[in-house]
Amino acid sequence: MIETDASNEDDTAWDGVPPPTRRRRRRRRLFRVSNAALALIASACVLGLLGVGFTVVPALGPALVPGHGAWTSAAGAALPVSQTLAVPGLSKPVTVSFTKQGLASINASTDYDAYLALGYVHARFRLTQLDIERRLAEGRLAQLAGPRAVGSDKFELRLGLMRTAQREWAQMPKSSPAAQAHVAYAAGVNDWLAQLRANKQWPTVFSLTGVYPANWTPVDSLAVQGAFTQELDFTTTPLDYALLERSLGVQRTMDWFPVLPPNQQSPYDLGPYRRQGLAPLSGVQLAAENRGGGQPRSGQNNPPVLTAAISAGLARASSVVLAQARSLPTGQIYSYPASNAWAANGPKVAGGGAMLGGDPHVLQTLPSVWYEVALTAPGLAVSGVSVPGLPGVMIGHNAHIAWSLTDTQSQATLFYSEQTAKNRPGQYFWRGQWRRMQVLHYAIGVRGHSNVPFAVDETVHGPVLTEAGQTVAVDWMGALGSPAIATMISVDRASNFGEFKAALAGWKSPALNFVYADDRGNIGAISAGYYPQVSHGSPWLPLSGTGADDVTGVIPYAAVPQVYDPPSHVIASANQRPVRGSYPYYIGTSADIFDPGYRADAEKAFLTKKYSMGPAKFATLQNDVGDQLASVIVPRLMAALKGTKLTPLQKQAQQALSSWNRQMDVSSSGASIWWTFWKSYLSAVFNPWWTAAKVPVHLDRSGLSVGPSQFSLDEDLEAWTVGDQQNAAFSPPGGSQRNADEVMRLAFASAVSQLAAKLGGGPGQWAWGKLHTRQFPSLTAGSALGYGPRAAGGDPWTVNAAEGGLNSKVGPSWRMIVSFTGPGRLPVAVGVYPGGQSENPASPWYTNMIGLWWTGQYLALPATGAAGVLRLPADRVAASSSGGSSGGNKGGSGGKGGSSSSSSGVGGSGKAGSLASPAVPTVEWELRP
Amino acid sequence: MTADFKRGELERLGKRGSYRLGQLRAQGIRQPGPPAPFKPRFVRPERGLPLSGWLLLLAAGVVLIVAGAVLGWWFMPFVVGLVLGLMNWIGGWPVRVAVPAVLLVALCGWAVPLVWSLLHGQPERIIAREIAAFGGFSGHSAFGFGVTILIAMVQAVVGYWLGRAVTPLPTDDLTAQLPTPASA
Repeated sequence: MIETDASNEDDTAWDGVPPPTRRRRRRRRLFRVSNAALALIASACVLGLLGVGFTVVPALGPALVPGHGAWTSAAGAALPVSQTLAVPGLSKPVTVSFTKQGLASINASTDYDAYLALGYVHARFRLTQLDIERRLAEGRLAQLAGPRAVGSDKFELRLGLMRTAQREWAQMPKSSPAAQAHVAYAAGVNDWLAQLRANKQWPTVFSLTGVYPANWTPVDSLAVQGAFTQELDFTTTPLDYALLERSLGVQRTMDWFPVLPPNQQSPYDLGPYRRQGLAPLSGVQLAAENRGGGQPRSGQNNPPVLTAAISAGLARASSVVLAQARSLPTGQIYSYPASNAWAANGPKVAGGGAMLGGDPHVLQTLPSVWYEVALTAPGLAVSGVSVPGLPGVMIGHNAHIAWSLTDTQSQATLFYSEQTAKNRPGQYFWRGQWRRMQVLHYAIGVRGHSNVPFAVDETVHGPVLTEAGQTVAVDWMGALGSPAIATMISVDRASNFGEFKAALAGWKSPALNFVYADDRGNIGAISAGYYPQVSHGSPWLPLSGTGADDVTGVIPYAAVPQVYDPPSHVIASANQRPVRGSYPYYIGTSADIFDPGYRADAEKAFLTKKYSMGPAKFATLQNDVGDQLASVIVPRLMAALKGTKLTPLQKQAQQALSSWNRQMDVSSSGASIWWTFWKSYLSAVFNPWWTAAKVPVHLDRSGLSVGPSQFSLDEDLEAWTVGDQQNAAFSPPGGSQRNADEVMRLAFASAVSQLAAKLGGGPGQWAWGKLHTRQFPSLTAGSALGYGPRAAGGDPWTVNAAEGGLNSKVGPSWRMIVSFTGPGRLPVAVGVYPGGQSENPASPWYTNMIGLWWTGQYLALPATGAAGVLRLPADRVAASSSGGSSGGNKGGSGGKGGSSSSSSGVGGSGKAGSLASPAVPTVEWELRP
Repeated sequence: MTADFKRGELERLGKRGSYRLGQLRAQGIRQPGPPAPFKPRFVRPERGLPLSGWLLLLAAGVVLIVAGAVLGWWFMPFVVGLVLGLMNWIGGWPVRVAVPAVLLVALCGWAVPLVWSLLHGQPERIIAREIAAFGGFSGHSAFGFGVTILIAMVQAVVGYWLGRAVTPLPTDDLTAQLPTPASA
C-alpha cells in the first residue's frame, strides 16, 4: 500500500468547486488526532495497571519482569550451603546443621540464642506459612488474599484470637523464660526479614501480591498459638444439637446423640475416679465478677436436663453461626478427630524399657504444619517437631523422656443465648441486671479495595457471634489463653514423669492427651487442659445467658484423666473418650467429638497381644489399615445374607467380602464393598428419619448429615446391630417394621448396585483405591502445587487414618517412635512427615519425605548434642536395611508416582528389626552475631 | 517528470498523431531505457535504512529489553515499542509487518532471560507453575511463562501504537523512482 500525502495534490479547483480532497484531508486529520489520543490513553492504562495494579490485580510489571519479582523466589529454593552468616542479636555463635533431607539441628550456648536461631530457620524455610498463619489468626488475611478472605477475618475478629494474644503478652512477665523465648524467636524471624528486604528475594506470594510481611512480634506467636488451638478444639456442636432437637425432637436427639457412647470402648484411664470439686478459671478474658458462683453440678451422669424446645430464633441464630463456620477454610475450626499416641513398657518392650509411638492427625498441607528440628543449649537437648511461629519443640524427646499428644475431643466451646430487648439496644440481661455490651470497632483491610468496617459486641460470656433471630455469644476456653510456650519449655527439659506432669499443670487449651515414656521404663498419660463445668443447663446445647448456666469452674488438674505405669503395660490414646461412664465430671458427648473408639480398640488389641516389641512393631501398627468396625459388622452381614436369594453379582460381592481380611488396602475390593455397604446401611436406617423430620443438613454437612463421619450414628448402629436388632430406628417413620438383618440386606444390595454403576464390571474392578485417595493441598495454591490426589488405603477408623471424606486431606501429619532401653542411654528416635522442610515448591526439600511416609519408612530424628552428631554407643548404630538416604518421592507433586526410593530408617511392614542410622548433617551454618 | 516533458504533452493535446508511439525521440522527448528486469523488493528504496539495518535495529531492541529486565526495568518493552513506533516516520512500515516484528522483539526480550535461567539450572519452570497457580490457572508452567511474555508483548505493541500515532506519515513520491529524461 502506498500512502500519499494529500498536500502534494493540486487542490486548486479548475471549475471553482472545492475538491473532495479537502474533506478527505479533514477526516484524515481527525482520525490521526483521535488515534493518538486513544493510543495515549491505552498506554497510560497499560502502564498504570502493570505498574500500580488495580483492585485485586497486583502490579504485574515489577512482579513478573524476568530476573526480579516473583522469579527471584528461585533463590529461596536453593539448598543451603555451609557458610558463615551474620545474624544480629545473637550473644555467641550458633551452629545450625542440616541433614540431606533438610532436618535441622541447632546448637547454641544460651536458650535465647537457640530460640533466635529457631526463628531464623523457621523464617528461612517457612516465611509464607508464618505470615499466612498470623494473618489468619489476627483477622488480616484479606490484606493478602483479597475479598474472599473477609469472611474468615470477620470470624477471627469476632472470636478474638488477636485480643487474647495481646492480653496474654501484656500480662506475661517480660523476664520470664517464655517471654524471653518469644522475644528471641521474633528477633530471629526479623533477622531473616531484614535480609530479604535487602536482597528482595521474596517468596512468590509476596512478589505477586505486592503485600510484604511486617516484622514479627511476640503477639504474632501468641496469635499463631491461638489459631492452632482453634483448629484443635473450637467446635459448633451445641448449635448442631439445637437444630437436631428442633427437627428430630429432644428425646430422639438424646437417644441417638447421647452423652455416653452406646458401644463398647477402650478408655485409657480406667479409674477409680474421685470427685475433687472444681478449680477456678483463670485467664486473660476474665474480670473479677464474671466467673465463679453457683454450686457445682454433682456428677455428669445425671439424666440430661430436658430444656424447653429450641425456639425459632435460636434455630435461626444457629443457622447463621454455622454458615459463618462453613465459610472458613478447611481445618480452621475443629472437624475431625485426630491422632494416635501409645506407649508400652516392661515385658511389652524388647529390653524391658519403654517405647512410645505418636502420630498426630491434622490437615495435611504442603508445607506441613510441622518443622523437624533439634535444639541444644545448656540444660536443653530436645529433638522432634516444632510449629512454625512458636518457639520450642511441641512433640519429641530429650535424653530422658519422650512425649506425643492427641486431642481429648472434649467440649471446650459453650454457646449462650443472651437475653436482649428491643427497647434496650446494645444491652443484655445477666445476673439480675441489664448490662451494656462492649463494642469493639475494627477496619478490615482488603487488598485492592477499601477497608471494611466491622464491629464486634462482647458480653460477659464472650463475643457475640450473631444477633440474627437470637443473640448468641460464645464462651470458648481458647479465649482465655494458655501458657503453651512456658509449658513446652518446661516439658522440653523434664526428666521424669513428675516434672512432666508439673510442667503441664498450667496448660489450658487445647485440652490434649499427653502420652509419655521415659528412660527408666515408665509410661504415662495425662489429659491436661480446661474442661468447663456448669451447674445448670445442658452444656451440649446453647445455654441461657442470664447467669444460671454460666461456667462455674473446671476439673481440677488432679482429677483430669491420667494414668501412670498401668498394670497392662500399655496406654493407647486415639481420641476416644479417655474415661469410663462413671467419671464424675462432664467432658463432652458422643457428638462433641469423641472418636468412636475403633482405632483405640485396634491399638489396644495389637499392643495387648504382642511382647518384646521393637520400633518396627510400632511402625507396623502406625501404618496399619485394618478396620475394627468391619471386624464386628461384616460377620453379622454375612449371617444376614446367608440363605437369601442373591443375584450373580451380589454373590460375587458376598464372596469377596467373606474372604476379605478387613484391611482397607488400596487394591482391596472387600474394602470398597464394606465401606459402600456401611454408608448405605447408615443411610437406610437414618435418612428416612432425617427426611421426615426435615433436618437442615445443608446448614452443616459435617455436623448434621447422615454418614460415616457422624460418629454418634456409627456407634448407635454398631450397638444396635450387635445387641438390639429390633430397635425402632430400623423401621422408618410411617413404614413397615424392619429389623437389622432386613436393612443390612437392603443396604448390601444397594452397595453392590452403586459399585457396579460407578466402577463397572464386578468385584474384580472395585479396588478401594478407585474410590479412595489422599491429597496434600498447598497452603497457598490449593491443589495446583499440592500432592495428589493419589489412590490410598485406610479410612477414618484405621490406625493409619484417612479422614475428611473419600479424598482425604487429614491424616497422620507426623509419625514418631522413640525407644528407651535404659537410664543414661540415649533413645532411638525415628520420625517422618508427608512433606518437606521447605515451603518453596522449587526446593528439593518441598516433598522429599512424602515417599518415605507413604511407604511406612522413617528417618532418624535430627541429632542433639555438640557438633550435631548423634551420640549413640557404637553398638546401637546399626546399618540401615537399605543403603542411601535420598528420601525422594518419585511421584513428585503430581502424586502419580509409585513407591519411593529407599532411605535410611525404620521400615514399615517388611522392614522389621532395622534401626535408623544417625541423622548425619551434611551442611552447616555458622551464625555469628 | 521533467518540465519539458510536461509542456510537450500539453502542446500535443488534441493534435493528430499525438499518441504516436516510438517517435518520442523525434519530438525531442527522451525515451525511457529498456525495461529493467523485475527485482522484487521488500524494502522500498526510500525507507531510510536497508533491510539489514532494520533487522539490526530490532536486535538492538531485544538487547535493550533484556538489559532492562536485568536492571528490573519492567517497562522497557513499552519504551522499545515506542521508539520503533516513532521510527515509523522513517520506515513507513505497514502495520501487518511492523506489529509482528514488535511482538517478536518483546517476546525475545523477556524470553531470553527466562531461557537463560532455565538452561543454568534455575527452577523457573516451578516458579512459572506457582505464578499460574496464584493466578487461578491450573498450575501448568506454560501459563506462568505465557502471562509473563504476554505482559511484555502488550506493553510493546501499545508503545508502538503510541509512537506511530504521534509521528507524521512518511512521504511516498513514486515519481522520484522513475528516470528523468536527463538521467535516462
